[in-house]
Amino acid sequence: MLEMIDVQAGYLHGDNVLQGVNLHVKRGEVVCLIGPNGAGKSTVLRAISGLLIPSEGKILFDGENIGGLRPDLILRRGIAHVPQGHSAFPGMTVHENLLMGAYTVRESYERKIRLNQVYDMFDLLAERRGARAGNLSGGQQKVLEIGRALMLSPRLMILDEPSLGLAPIMARSVFDTIQRLRQESGITILMVEQNARSGLAIADRGYVLELGKERLEGPASELLNDPQVARLYLGGSTMHENDHNGDSNASHSKEAVM
Amino acid sequence: MTLILRRWWPLPALILLLIFPLVFAEPYYHLLGFNVFLFATMATGWNIMGGYAGYRSLGHSAFYGLGAYAAAIAANQLGWNPLISSPILALGVAVFAMLLGWAMLRATGAAFVIASIAMLLIVRLLANNFENITGGAPGLSLPIPPWPPMLSRLPFYYYMLGVLIVAIIVSGFLRRSRFGLGLLAIRDDEGKAEMVGVNTTLYKILAFGISAYFVALGGGVWAYAQTHISPPFAFGITVGVQLILYTMLGGSGTVWGPTLGAFILVPLSDLILFQFGGSPIHLAVLGAVMMAIILFMPRGIIPSIRGWQEARAAPRATHTGALSMEDLQRMQGGKTEGGSPSEAAAAEHERP
Amino acid sequence: MSKILEIDRVTHSFGGIVAVQDCSLSLERGKITGLIGPNGSGKTTLFNLITGVHTAHSGQIRLMGRSVNNLRPSQICAQGICRTFQITRLFWEMSVLENMIVPIRHVGLRALFGASIYSDEADRAMRLLERVGLDHLRDQPARRLSFGQQKLLELAAVLMSGPDLVLLDEPASGVNPTMIRFIMNLIRNLNSEGVSFFIVEHNMHFVMELCDYVYVLDQGVEIANGTPEIIQSNPAVLEVYLGN
Repeated sequence: MLEMIDVQAGYLHGDNVLQGVNLHVKRGEVVCLIGPNGAGKSTVLRAISGLLIPSEGKILFDGENIGGLRPDLILRRGIAHVPQGHSAFPGMTVHENLLMGAYTVRESYERKIRLNQVYDMFDLLAERRGARAGNLSGGQQKVLEIGRALMLSPRLMILDEPSLGLAPIMARSVFDTIQRLRQESGITILMVEQNARSGLAIADRGYVLELGKERLEGPASELLNDPQVARLYLGGSTMHENDHNGDSNASHSKEAVM
Repeated sequence: MTLILRRWWPLPALILLLIFPLVFAEPYYHLLGFNVFLFATMATGWNIMGGYAGYRSLGHSAFYGLGAYAAAIAANQLGWNPLISSPILALGVAVFAMLLGWAMLRATGAAFVIASIAMLLIVRLLANNFENITGGAPGLSLPIPPWPPMLSRLPFYYYMLGVLIVAIIVSGFLRRSRFGLGLLAIRDDEGKAEMVGVNTTLYKILAFGISAYFVALGGGVWAYAQTHISPPFAFGITVGVQLILYTMLGGSGTVWGPTLGAFILVPLSDLILFQFGGSPIHLAVLGAVMMAIILFMPRGIIPSIRGWQEARAAPRATHTGALSMEDLQRMQGGKTEGGSPSEAAAAEHERP
Repeated sequence: MSKILEIDRVTHSFGGIVAVQDCSLSLERGKITGLIGPNGSGKTTLFNLITGVHTAHSGQIRLMGRSVNNLRPSQICAQGICRTFQITRLFWEMSVLENMIVPIRHVGLRALFGASIYSDEADRAMRLLERVGLDHLRDQPARRLSFGQQKLLELAAVLMSGPDLVLLDEPASGVNPTMIRFIMNLIRNLNSEGVSFFIVEHNMHFVMELCDYVYVLDQGVEIANGTPEIIQSNPAVLEVYLGN
């Protein structure tokens, strides 16, 4: 469904955070991106949802290159982005926040249908539909944000560190929610997680990103068994040394390891 | 030729100012000149705290009034001529300001501004109530100056011009000193200044005292020129507001800015008062002037001119990204152009 | 005294949250020590405690044997500990050279009415600026510098007061590999001249290559310490980064 080919992107002209990322997400899969700080994980998501324009490479969504499109156009094609941290409107109620999620949907009956679907899926939101979003706990807000993203009936949902800043119990409930979401709706999910174990626990496949490139890939349950992971996280990895000379040897090294 | 002009222009300007009252001989012009110099002096003083250090006190009229009353009381009780006593009494006010500052300067930013207003109101209240000392609400009268009536305001003109020159010299020295650099650091980033070793509390108190000195001095001389003072005028908030306005017009944080602002706005307000006097239009015009300043030259005249000169001389923006350096800093892990420092420098010049 | 800094069972909390818990570590004089740990592990709080931004609720912080717990930041700086910030903090409206000059301590009337920069200080500043390659920018306002240049300026300015211990808060973040190499070499050179370093950094290659000794913090608690080799092969450390 989604394919990133040799994508390079960054925040400032001349230096790119992403140094040629290759990854793909199949329909119905849950893929988790992990990696040390500064690897470029959030940057990957921003490139997909249009917040960042790739300087090189292609981002194919169902065969169409969406790299460089405006974010709202990418949204309309069915990609919903739940960003890092708080993004619910704290002054609005849960109900209003959800309605904001369907802002681009013209027919009000359509909006109502989706609203009911979301309420069906998430009791929490149904029960507290009149509450101010700012009064919800961090974990509840994250569930609200996911619900809001669902209002667009997206085909791909991208989640940027859903457990960031949450206490372990709340993080747990957010992961459970994501898992349930996947089971009940079969939606395709690409997520970035700082908490590698928890993220991979609910995913089918994972990528380890480091210094702007994907370095390892594999089934989620086995990825962390790879000894290279330790070296990627704690330094001492031999993979990146060639890259300083400018050539992209990532796939090279990957093959050597796999 | 222009270089010489740029460096030595104060000299011909000074000569012009010295001759001015002889050419324009009516007392009206002498008084106007006196007012210009008075406000220029006090604005220059205010600027040391508000412009250099960035602590904008709205209650500086308190020191103005204290200086006025000190001079008046000394004149009435001790027979001291305010022109001689004001510079000395102002020292007392400055010490008082530093003691006050030690308490007030724990507040920063908006809290400090509010504290300064409170200070003003309290002092006014005291002046109203300590009647036996201050003459209460009706105020105090001062003795008439001893010089022949023909001279009228002329001595005030020259006296204040002299004081203004001193104030500008002091302000200039401070600005270019290590102390001045410290004040600018406090204005730029007080926490950082503290971290690199600037004794911010001491510096702020000192700046507060010095700025209070010139305002108090001005107050004492003003009292003498008015021959009568009372709480609403001595402790009116408008004086403080005027100091801020003149400073901001000319350029807060520069040596000559406050003086420039006073030289422009004092005669201008007088003219407006004359033309539209008494009616609200005069305030409306002043308000329009303020708005124009904010819209077109928010940093004041001198910094704006310097900014335009800088912009013409400097290379164009080096990247077309939507993010400015400030944005970049706020994001984690944002990456930039660079290379070795010399590569980075070379790159900056290469870009279109 | 071979320990330049000792942190002795320091605890500090904000509201109900404990940021640093019974933390003890010590830095060898003349060495480069690293501090790593996931986000929120208390590294920045520790830096803030050392530099006097906060006063530790319990425990002792000693610089060369002398307690520095209750000192204000300007006093800590006078004692010989200086720091840089993760998000560069400079005097933006001042020139590069002025930024170098402010940290030099000055007292008395000379400070009030003398010049703001004396030639010997300017010389020292220019030599440091040359070292970091910024001497040609001496009169540029700091806000015009590129991100990498700002980081270098912050580091150079910190050295002006001749500190014994420099705390670096993520010196490699947001900087490209060439600049990272430059910074690493600079730190090594300064270290060989006797300056001790305490570095918080997420970039593991940077830490492991540069540091003589590393401490690992997780949720305010020190969970491991040792040479880079020891840390890299410690499974508990990897666990901390992979989460649970």
